[in-house]
Amino acid sequence: MTIMKMEETAIVWTLLQSDLRPIQDVLAEFNSKFTRSRYFPVCSSLSILLQDPMILRSTDRLIAFAIMHQCYSSVKPSLNPFVSEMINAACNEQAEKYERAFLLHLFQWNSYNNAKEIFKLSAADYIKTFDPSTNDFPELGELQREYGNKADGPSSHMFADYALKKLLHDPDVPRGCDPNSPEFDVQVQPGGISKIGSGDRNEAISGILGSLTMGGLAPRWIRPCPPRYPVHQSELLWIDPDNKHELVWDDKMCADTSRGATVRDLLVKGLKVTLSPTEQEDITTALSNDPKLVYHCGITPRKLPQLVEHNPQIAVEILTKLINSPEIVDYFTALVSMEMSLHSMEVVNRLTTAVELPKEFIRMFITNCISSCENAKQQDKYMQNRLVRLVCVFLQSLIRNNIIDVKDLFIEVQAFCIDFSRVREAAGLFRLLKTLE
Amino acid sequence: MDSISSDAARDGSICDEAIVLSVTSALAKDALSYFQSGKFHECIDILIQLNHKKRNDPKVLHNIAIAEYFKNACSNSKKLLEDLNTVKKQSEEFAKEPLEAVNPGSNVSVSKHQFDSTITTLNIAVTWFHLHQYAKCLSILDPLFLNIEPLDETIALQICFLMLDSALACHDAVKFLEVFGHLDKSFGVGFGTHEEIGSTMQLSSNQVSKTSSLLSSSAASDALKSDLAAAESGLCEEGLEYDNVLAEIEAEKRMKPVGHIPANNLLKTIGERSILTVDVKLELQLYKVRFLLLTRNVKLAKREVKHAMNIAQKRDSSMALLLKSQLEYAHGNHRKAIKLLLVSGIQKELRTSGIFNNNLGCIYYQLGKYQAASVLFSKALRNCSSLRKDNPVKLFSLSQDKSLLITYNCGVLYLACGKPLLAAQCFQKASLVFCRQPLLWLRIAECCILALQKGLLEEGNTSSDRSEIRVHVIGKGKWRQLMMEENGFVELGGSAQWPKLSLPLARVCLSNSMYLLNVSLMNDYSKSDLESPLSVMINETKEASWSDHGDADTNSELKEAKGGMNQDIIQNSLSAYKDIRRRENHLLKQALLANMAYVELELENPIKALSAANSLLQLPDCSKIYVFLGHIYAAEALCLLNRPGEAGAHLSAYLLGQEDFKLPFAQEDFDPWRMNMSSDCEETSDCSTGNARDSLKPEEARGALFANLAALFATQGHYDQARPFIQHALALLPSNVQATITAVYIDLMVGRSQDAVARLKQCTRVSFVPGRLEVRAS
Repeated sequence: MTIMKMEETAIVWTLLQSDLRPIQDVLAEFNSKFTRSRYFPVCSSLSILLQDPMILRSTDRLIAFAIMHQCYSSVKPSLNPFVSEMINAACNEQAEKYERAFLLHLFQWNSYNNAKEIFKLSAADYIKTFDPSTNDFPELGELQREYGNKADGPSSHMFADYALKKLLHDPDVPRGCDPNSPEFDVQVQPGGISKIGSGDRNEAISGILGSLTMGGLAPRWIRPCPPRYPVHQSELLWIDPDNKHELVWDDKMCADTSRGATVRDLLVKGLKVTLSPTEQEDITTALSNDPKLVYHCGITPRKLPQLVEHNPQIAVEILTKLINSPEIVDYFTALVSMEMSLHSMEVVNRLTTAVELPKEFIRMFITNCISSCENAKQQDKYMQNRLVRLVCVFLQSLIRNNIIDVKDLFIEVQAFCIDFSRVREAAGLFRLLKTLE
Repeated sequence: MDSISSDAARDGSICDEAIVLSVTSALAKDALSYFQSGKFHECIDILIQLNHKKRNDPKVLHNIAIAEYFKNACSNSKKLLEDLNTVKKQSEEFAKEPLEAVNPGSNVSVSKHQFDSTITTLNIAVTWFHLHQYAKCLSILDPLFLNIEPLDETIALQICFLMLDSALACHDAVKFLEVFGHLDKSFGVGFGTHEEIGSTMQLSSNQVSKTSSLLSSSAASDALKSDLAAAESGLCEEGLEYDNVLAEIEAEKRMKPVGHIPANNLLKTIGERSILTVDVKLELQLYKVRFLLLTRNVKLAKREVKHAMNIAQKRDSSMALLLKSQLEYAHGNHRKAIKLLLVSGIQKELRTSGIFNNNLGCIYYQLGKYQAASVLFSKALRNCSSLRKDNPVKLFSLSQDKSLLITYNCGVLYLACGKPLLAAQCFQKASLVFCRQPLLWLRIAECCILALQKGLLEEGNTSSDRSEIRVHVIGKGKWRQLMMEENGFVELGGSAQWPKLSLPLARVCLSNSMYLLNVSLMNDYSKSDLESPLSVMINETKEASWSDHGDADTNSELKEAKGGMNQDIIQNSLSAYKDIRRRENHLLKQALLANMAYVELELENPIKALSAANSLLQLPDCSKIYVFLGHIYAAEALCLLNRPGEAGAHLSAYLLGQEDFKLPFAQEDFDPWRMNMSSDCEETSDCSTGNARDSLKPEEARGALFANLAALFATQGHYDQARPFIQHALALLPSNVQATITAVYIDLMVGRSQDAVARLKQCTRVSFVPGRLEVRAS
């Protein structure tokens, strides 16, 4: 992106060459042709041209400086982004005195306060009328103290700060050759061959203006591009044909919902009375014919205790089939928290041989058994004895079948045996414990 | 008393209901038979009648939705989803009401049953599956799976298989195992040796070898010889074997045609009560192999695929062969993979020919034959689109349409071929499926970066002007001036390329990717909280084996020899896989941060670039390559932030003595990089040529260090210190634009403009262009 557009370049170049018009006219025209937002690009271009004392003619330079001043005249000089260039130029010993004086007028340095007057002159006239004896030029430091910009300039980082002007002399043009000397610019006949070295200042300057870009030449950093993330062979998708996952027709629609109805009815009955052997067999067959029926047979954890009391075999059957159900824990909880009885113990005992029960459950059940025996004390001695005998037999069976590890419950069971040592079975259990110790 | 009256009431109502029931169930049967014969109009008519008789029965509404969908040639999946969701909501509401209203009696479970929304939920999941939303599919099925015991076997199987396929598609090994474990328990296949099956298999393979059936013998010889080959790494043997097997194949072709794709016939039996358990066994065995392939447990997969071959013997072995081919592909035995792919016979069927071409394309890609791969992928895409045209009525054709997956493969291929615009198009299409995968976003970002390098970005330059130094020759004769310009900007005249790839897009993609990666890491951490000590242990013990888990395998072999402990093998496999994933994610994170730093630098945002580079450098166990990039990006960002001292510290980390740099990384550092190819890969050389072009050479990296330190010195005004460094840099990188510019800058600063111009003339990447004279005309 070049700084200036083609037509802007043309305008600027024409303005610079207006050495015979009063400077203020030139500035007025500049103001009318450029908006504020274009000031910076134009001034940047001008400052690059001004860096080389040879490129622009002296009148052009004065106009260029005037424009640079004018653009930022509404702010303090120190806020002018080009102030340091102007200060340097004003203090440049090699520069023409009229140029330095002109810049000082722009700055309104001490006695140089004639800017308004000077602007009424044309650039050419100003040079002509300049009094070469003027000698009062300030030191660089003085000007810098006065106008220098103390804040950091607009340049954003060190690469930019150290950027170098990009314009080089062609090394083929001999050093020290003064392009302003008329030597090369001998008028050639129209159509003739131009002399080597002849050239056109206009062409060069508008070429430069037209090609300038922002920013200078700075050391460049090598920025290696990150390597591409490796393609693992699993990233490329190897495709296997998958199962045909079809939409499924719901064949339960309006279907006979009597599936298992007999079983359900029988089970409702079974919550209240003991079922006859044929009825029990009906249930068992139906359950084994349809493995999923057990989930629909209507026995919920809440109803389980009733079923256990009246039909322990059926309860075992159902619990065995439900063992994989996520709700089995609820059934176990129901079993543990129901009142202890011959039937509940029978159910648990049978279950232990049929499926693997969670250790925690068995433990809780045994603890419950023991506390039931203790609580039965208040009611009926006979009932209590009966219960204790049952529990002892149950525990012996569990131990003999290696269902429980005695170590887990040793103290508890031992205490139980001692408590009820009057019962023969308890003494037997105690002996069994001792042999295992 | 209470029970008697209620019984009586029920008896009365049962009489009425029985009549209605017989009518409706007859209608329902008709509807089903119309549905099965594909007469959807008639089917819907009957369903509408049913709907009049049984107002708002969710099951009727459900079947209407399904039939409507098929009637419209499976075109409106969105409507289907809406309908099914409505039905589901409805049945859930109904299911609540009777529970509260009806007194606890035998009826509860009946009404519950009527409003059971399992099928509806399954169908919703099926639809999402076909829309490639696998994660969604899984999350919908999860509640069903939690309560799968009461479900009918067929439905339960369907749910499980759908979950397995989805889990595979999501690379979710944990979920896969959960589901597989359930099936395993119910159907008893088991991992590792399964005594009864094993013995029958032994038997059958004996018989088979007597009758000289070739597949099993080839399977056996494969295993034997590959072990041998692994031990001796003899290529000649491979050749021998290759010939043998080819001969066998020929012989077999003469004997009997290879059965076609298994197509998992088992689900055809929907409606029948029982499923052939053998088929389920084969199916599960195949899934097991796929799991092992997913977890990259190549050795175990090899053994299991043999079991699968044996089970498949009696019916259809093409799926097993396909998996065997994938196994060889994963193992890097590409020729063998091609051979097995051919033997599987899936190319003969229209339905699977696309899959065949895709898989072959994958193999050719790995062989570095991009041209062939590209032909194969486009062939595969054509297969898919013709399948879509031919067979729109069946829903499965949608899922069989793998074009989005193939498109992803195309993207990877195009990126490797240096065609970022095409690649980005592919990735953007494939994002429908993969938008939750961090890698996809990194790939799109890489497309942007590649496009930037190639000058294909819209705001960038044309390739001819890219990274060249331009010296404008302005004026003539004594007025002649040279204007230097690096990266000369040229407006792109109306290059309306489709993708709006850009650096800001790359930035967005990278942060997407990072976000997704962090989310998945977080999930992993929260999930693996309990097992973290285990994984740490594995980390320590298995440092050296991440391509295939050698130690775990030998262990597992030992264990298996004893018989049992199968669960351990699987757990090992799973944790080894988790370990692999963790490493890959770690590498991905490094790549993301490096790319972020790079993109931010390109976008002239040094603060963000610095923070990305610093995060990269703070990662533990970073690859040396990324450490280098982290240092170099951080140094540049620090320079841009006017902090040259810190920048210098980053660079001098690599200083050897005063004036020399060591190689920041070695070529070997690219090795874990160059795919975690197993060491016994046959065609290593082929693979490496495929990848070499993408990598940064260590010498170049060293050159960059020289050049950048020189640039740093130059900006600080230490031109004398800078000069030797830039000389070194130019010796290593003679035509590097940046180094040349720095050299020119230094020359100019010390007043040697002659040298500078001479340097410009020497550099091959400088072009002298005429100034723009047209200005004068205006």
